[in-house]
Amino acid sequence: MKAAIRHLLRNRRRSILALAAVIVPVFLLVLVLAMVGGMERDMFLNTIRFETGHLQVRRESERPKGGALPLIRDSAALVDLVGATEGVEWYMVRLELPALAASPDRSVGILVQGVDPDRVKRISPIYRMIEQGRYLEAGDDGVVVGVQLLKMLGLAEGDGLILLGAHPDVGMGVARPAIVGIFNPLDPELGRVIVQVDLAVAQRLVRAPGAITSIVAQVGGVDGPWDAWKIDQVVARLAERIPDGYEVIGWAELAPEFAGFMRILRPLTYGIMVIFFLLGGFVVLNILYLSILERTRELGVIAALGATRARVMSMVLSEATIIASVGAVVGALSGAGLVGLIERLGGIPLPGLYTEMMAMMGMETVLRLRITGVEIVLSALAMIVVAVLSAWYPAFKAAKLEPVEAMRHA
Amino acid sequence: MPEQLLLNTIDLKKVYETKGASTIALDGVDLELHAGEFTAIAGPSGSGKSTLLHLLGGLDRPTAGEVHLDGVALAGMSRDELARLRLHKVGFVFQAYNLIPVLTVLENTAFTMELQGIARNERIKRARAILAELGIEQYADQFPNRVSGGEQQRAAVARAVVAEPSIVLADEPTANLDSKTSLALIEMMRRLNEEHGATFLFATHDSRLLDRVDRLLTLVDGRVTTDEHR
Ligand SMILES: Nc1ncnc2c1ncn2[C@@H]1O[C@H](COP(=O)(O)OP(=O)(O)OP(=O)(O)O)[C@@H](O)[C@H]1O
Ligand SMILES: [Mg+2]
Repeated sequence: MKAAIRHLLRNRRRSILALAAVIVPVFLLVLVLAMVGGMERDMFLNTIRFETGHLQVRRESERPKGGALPLIRDSAALVDLVGATEGVEWYMVRLELPALAASPDRSVGILVQGVDPDRVKRISPIYRMIEQGRYLEAGDDGVVVGVQLLKMLGLAEGDGLILLGAHPDVGMGVARPAIVGIFNPLDPELGRVIVQVDLAVAQRLVRAPGAITSIVAQVGGVDGPWDAWKIDQVVARLAERIPDGYEVIGWAELAPEFAGFMRILRPLTYGIMVIFFLLGGFVVLNILYLSILERTRELGVIAALGATRARVMSMVLSEATIIASVGAVVGALSGAGLVGLIERLGGIPLPGLYTEMMAMMGMETVLRLRITGVEIVLSALAMIVVAVLSAWYPAFKAAKLEPVEAMRHA
Repeated sequence: MPEQLLLNTIDLKKVYETKGASTIALDGVDLELHAGEFTAIAGPSGSGKSTLLHLLGGLDRPTAGEVHLDGVALAGMSRDELARLRLHKVGFVFQAYNLIPVLTVLENTAFTMELQGIARNERIKRARAILAELGIEQYADQFPNRVSGGEQQRAAVARAVVAEPSIVLADEPTANLDSKTSLALIEMMRRLNEEHGATFLFATHDSRLLDRVDRLLTLVDGRVTTDEHR
């Protein structure tokens, strides 16, 4: 052990290089994991929750997906059931239907969302995007519209918006709520397609008081995909209890793009990081191999004096273990330190290109980071394992030296 | 002195095969060494002295023939078994540079005891004692590159004898030393032999050393040609 440390100190330059080869991958991994974790959490808290909720209860439909959702006419018992289900922290009802929004000279296909204005604030960030006017209030007769749609229709705050609902279950219905608020979302598509009205207004549009299309629920204690199992549990629990003709849809099906993205995000990250780890291991291997070559004579003496192969190997491996442990700890701590610092400073403002991309996906434009202690420890451990395994080859070479030949070495 | 057989060889042969040519380094050596002997092997360069020492100490394997050390046959021992045999029964002193550079003189002296698994306090105590006996305790905490060749070689002898092996094999221990230093080293080993009964076998050309041995073997072309007790 003492000899191992002295060997490492004897050639400082080389040891520092080996140390760097260990520090950098761990540091990067901690940083990248924190970004991935932050991204996942952000997607869960802002995107998945936004519009879809963690799970929804809907009526089963023969109609192809993507069309109008079937109406649930007497929802009271179903709503109570969802509300009473263990794990459901919050829920709301919603009536969504495709409609035509029209001004005197133009019309555009949109999606009307009938919501409970007080409750919907919890999931839909539209109220935060209000740029002009106000958001809906309980019992509101008005409508909030995206700035993009408004421009297309050539309307302004205070004007009436003609809504032509056409639901396959009930046929046509018309309403003409006044525009009370204008929102400006980062994602222009959202501002072009979604309008929100009070639930009662939407129900009038389908001429079915009390009707809804979905119950949107949230499960408690879900901060990211790592908590998704809690959602799955509740979905399973609800699926057992709801009457025939209804279905429970989990987040992954409600937001397949995000679920898909999240499914590949981690494997992709690990795949890229593996390269860094292998590179680090390769550098350690080479440096140690070089130092073994330089010490051939000394190793020959050690073997001649009676060190067994295992003993010689363990001498070399202990050097690798010291480098790996010190490097991994330094890398992990500095990575964690930087993550902590960035968090304290309020996250990473994303560069322009990404801002748009993130915004389109409904994500924040400042990336907050998230990493767990377990991830930090595992990052360090992974590097230690890789580095020590890489040392196996030079250690093996050292143990295989024939003492007589090795001592003849210049 | 009671003649206790310590080491013997039977028709020992070593042939080195190198690209095309084969060199017969030892050509049938029959040899008996007894505990407490202070013996030298002399002979011209290339006569096989080093090779013989290596085979006797289990550092290398013969092409044919047998080596018995302390009643144990070396043939058929695995690599690690040979390592353990060297560790416990043989002390080596080589021509030069055989201290471990990252260890101090004291640590070098204690190194074989460390390999033997002797407790730290014990080995430090014994290493200090032998360094004191050999008159180099003042260098105990120096690294090898900070002390002279003669002192390094004394430390190497200290390391070879400290664990009380059955035999010390020394290959040209004085070859890199000046005359005065050589004499001091030789006297030191002679004393260890006389006072502790340590058995020494040297391979050497050094007449100063040859003058001090009890027994002189001469090796020519891989054969023992003379065996002279004095
Ligand atoms: N590893 C080897 N491969 C090939 N030939 C070898 C090897 N080691 C020794 N020899 C040859 O074996 C013969 C005996 O060598 P050895 O080193 O035992 O002689 P020596 O008596 O110790 O000589 P010196 O006095 O020069 O040290 C020499 O001819 C030498 O060239
Ligand atoms: Mg020789």
